Amino acid sequence: MDRVLKHRLEHRFESLLAGPVHQRHDETELRVGPGAVPEVMAALHDEPEFRFEMLVDLAGVDTGEVMQVVYHLWSETTTDWLRVIADGLSRDDPRVPSVTFLWKGAEWMEREAYDMFGITFEGNRDLRRIFMPPDYTSFPLRKDFYLPDDAARSPGAGVRHMERTHAPADAPAAVRLRKARGA
Amino acid sequence: MSFATRTWDRLTLPGRILAVLVPALVGLLVVLVVLVALLGGPIVDFLAANIGLVRFVVAATGVLVLSIPTAFIIIYMEMKVIARMNQRVGPQRVGPWGSLMSVFHGLKVLMKEDFTPTGADPIVFTWAPVVTFMGSVMTMAVIPFAPGLFGQDFNVGLLYLFSMGGLTVVGLLMGGWASFNKYSLLGGLRSAAQIISYEIPLTLSVVGLIILAGSMSLDRLVLMQSGSVLDWNVFRQPLGALIFFIAATAEANRTPFDLTEADSEIVAGFATEYSGMRFGFFFFAEYVNVFIVSALIVTFFFGGWTAPVGWPFPVSLHLDPGSLGIGLLFLVLLAPVVGTLVLGAPFWLWRSSISTLQALAIGFVLFNALVVLALLGWAFVSFDWVVGLVWFFAKTYVFVFTFVWMRATLPRVRIDQLMGFAWKWLLPAALLNLFVTAAAVVALGR
Amino acid sequence: MTTEQRISQDDPRVTLDEQAGVFEPVPPYPPRTEREAEFYTAGDGELFLNMGPQHPSTHGVLRLVLKLNGEQIVDIDPVLGYLHRGVEKICENSDWHHINNQVDPLEYLASLFNEWPPVLAFEKLFDVQVPRRAEYIRVLTGELLRVASHTLFMGWLALDLGGLTPILYAFIERDEIVEALAAVTGARMLFNYFRIGGVNGDVNHEFLSRVGDWMSRASGQVEANGRLLNENEIFIRRTRGMGVVDREMAMRMSVSGPNLRAAGVPFDLRRAHPYSVYPELDFDIPTRQGGDSLARYLIRIDEIKQSLRIIDQCLHELPDGPVMAKLPRLLRARPGRAWGAVEGPRGIVGTYAISDGTDQPFRLRIHDPSFLHLQLLPFLMPGRLVADTMAVMASFDPVMGGVDK
Repeated sequence: MDRVLKHRLEHRFESLLAGPVHQRHDETELRVGPGAVPEVMAALHDEPEFRFEMLVDLAGVDTGEVMQVVYHLWSETTTDWLRVIADGLSRDDPRVPSVTFLWKGAEWMEREAYDMFGITFEGNRDLRRIFMPPDYTSFPLRKDFYLPDDAARSPGAGVRHMERTHAPADAPAAVRLRKARGA
Repeated sequence: MSFATRTWDRLTLPGRILAVLVPALVGLLVVLVVLVALLGGPIVDFLAANIGLVRFVVAATGVLVLSIPTAFIIIYMEMKVIARMNQRVGPQRVGPWGSLMSVFHGLKVLMKEDFTPTGADPIVFTWAPVVTFMGSVMTMAVIPFAPGLFGQDFNVGLLYLFSMGGLTVVGLLMGGWASFNKYSLLGGLRSAAQIISYEIPLTLSVVGLIILAGSMSLDRLVLMQSGSVLDWNVFRQPLGALIFFIAATAEANRTPFDLTEADSEIVAGFATEYSGMRFGFFFFAEYVNVFIVSALIVTFFFGGWTAPVGWPFPVSLHLDPGSLGIGLLFLVLLAPVVGTLVLGAPFWLWRSSISTLQALAIGFVLFNALVVLALLGWAFVSFDWVVGLVWFFAKTYVFVFTFVWMRATLPRVRIDQLMGFAWKWLLPAALLNLFVTAAAVVALGR
Repeated sequence: MTTEQRISQDDPRVTLDEQAGVFEPVPPYPPRTEREAEFYTAGDGELFLNMGPQHPSTHGVLRLVLKLNGEQIVDIDPVLGYLHRGVEKICENSDWHHINNQVDPLEYLASLFNEWPPVLAFEKLFDVQVPRRAEYIRVLTGELLRVASHTLFMGWLALDLGGLTPILYAFIERDEIVEALAAVTGARMLFNYFRIGGVNGDVNHEFLSRVGDWMSRASGQVEANGRLLNENEIFIRRTRGMGVVDREMAMRMSVSGPNLRAAGVPFDLRRAHPYSVYPELDFDIPTRQGGDSLARYLIRIDEIKQSLRIIDQCLHELPDGPVMAKLPRLLRARPGRAWGAVEGPRGIVGTYAISDGTDQPFRLRIHDPSFLHLQLLPFLMPGRLVADTMAVMASFDPVMGGVDK
């Protein structure tokens, strides 16, 4: 655990943080609102005391109540992994600014997050489906994705008669939604 | 039920086939003999008057028939040699050491569906393999296999050779264009670009030879090199030989110049949409091409059918079987029996698990092998053309092996590197070679 | 016959629609993004060539749409998803212990490196201390598999450039390694060997003797395999200067692993962010300066040598003790989040796990490096020839199982 990093982060991003900075094992965790992502990421990437030059991973998360986008960064200035969580995206229309202006390589990872969660990354020039077929209509990793139902709704799913007939037509969404306590 | 019906029912399938075939053949023979007896004079007169026609028909048949086993042998050789170089075993199940594998490949290809894709131009698509195959087979007609053993000796043999070699590319281009497939199209265009580019250094590298020999006849070129190893053209025209070898590799679409069917880039090039025997024709043409190219290298630069060294022991067997009289009959009857017994006895003594019958069988096979060897040896020392044939095929298969070896060793070049090499290096080198040869001939006044 | 009805040549009973069997790579719907519109608009004399998902050298089921001008590539659009199995979704419905089994077939050439990151992340979640012997065994088996994967890469690259032989020599070495691993894990490809808190079963005599036997000639064999191509003029001309990824670009594109080190960046998680027992082991991080296909090929040979050093040390310093930590049979993590990442043969393999206190992860994100490396193709290929697609793509060593998840 890098205590110094925690203090530096708290000091630098005081007003932008959406929650306290967490540290556990070799991970430091930063929680910001979606609007603050470009500013925080640019600062982390450029400022000499941070120099988080490498975006290791970008992941979408559906907590059941809100959407998150999770970035994992690496820097040679610290021994910790830095995790930046852009928290509090609305589930109805999740939007977050893209980080492709810093890391061109985030483009496909953002496409994947869009494909799986429907998160719109504003500023990504190529935000289309990457794994699922282009005519697919739902987002498979969302917590309210009910496999037979949602797969059958897709136009490409004409052959899946069995799934369609076995899907409970009126199962309440609340029953199917598993909510996170930890995310 | 008559006797004939009962006999027919008892016969097995091979027996029935024989029962039909043997009388038919005998009948045909009788008819032929009668015809020749009746019309013999006019036919012989006609053939004697048109000896060129006879020669052409025989040569064409011979070349067509020869091309098929040649392709089979080279395909088998490629499978086996590359396998050994890859630390694999290669074919081993069909026939002794897997030697019938390529024959069965041919049969498999014959039995497969001949598929024409939607959108393809059916006529061009169908004729493309035929054109390619004919282009490569017709080239064989002028190759001198042995003294006096060639299809036709033109005085413009070389020109015929290169024009027929150029016919191959027409077939490839037709196939690539008519297949309605972008990979095929790329393959066809690549082959056109490649073969036309390499045709130029290929032809120019031989012009030096034409100047030296003063003739374009292949037979004259070979005769010019008769004598010892030092008379070979490769020592007179080393640069020409090198250029010819490289350009010929490209002409035959062999690695590292096998861009037309680069499987890791354009799937199978011009042959992507072909299946069945149409694909088989392309495949055959490719391997016949390998043989032809090797044969040409040998003919032009490595002495053709001439022996590299004079036979050091002048052996001349003047066997006159007639002088043995009645003894000949005893010899013919006794020799197999004695030979079988003598050769089988060691096996019979060697292992008790080998039964008497097996030992006799081994002895009989061995005896026959020995007799065949002896006959071959006799033919070798007695007939010029046998010696020539042996040397010609030995030299040719050395080069076939080299092509196979290259395929196992080298990666593939890129199309721009290929074209750059032809135009920037091979063509100037060929021109230089031509210039130096011409200058030398003028200067030395030959 | 009323209008132009075409009859199939092969079966006269079949009437052919004029458009049947004609495949155009251009999608039938209007473009949805800027990039898609730009790509699928053909300029003068340009054609689209569809390469894959069934193609001899797209390393599985990658599909590339090439925009060509003659043989020259104008642009390239990789299309993924032909091997997408939704492993992340499956993992959300699996027990903590079952995750290993689910992630194994992702990057099938080095599947231990798929198991390692989840195991690493879960150990953080459960606060499990792994016995030292287990850590050594993990490093030992992992490095063996890294050698196998890199050896195979040397063969694949040659095969994509048209060389037939090196791939078979590569498979000989790989076979020795997977046979040795099969002796201890029971499988040749999908090992399912690592466990939360250790490994499944101690190394046995057969494994050690096989590895020792192989190690006695491994470096010579690798040298010999390298000699098949390293100085081949055609090979060098095909790969030198091809697909140059410089340092700047590599960092911006999140390139990792050997592909990053070939660009001159000495970044290796085994040193940059040490895990397991790597701090105790003695090895170097080789780098190359070219950043081209040739450098990416040579760096892997260098890495094989370093891996052999690590294997040697592991064999000599393998400590005694248990190989499994004491754990409750039914794992229930307390709510929390953890990230585990290891240096796989292709780059950083990572796992982000969220626990909500039940016996299944709430969300499991799997990060695979090949996915990011394929992203480089549209930036590297314009202006090159069709044949170079293979030279560049194969030099990134992508495995589609990992890319498509």
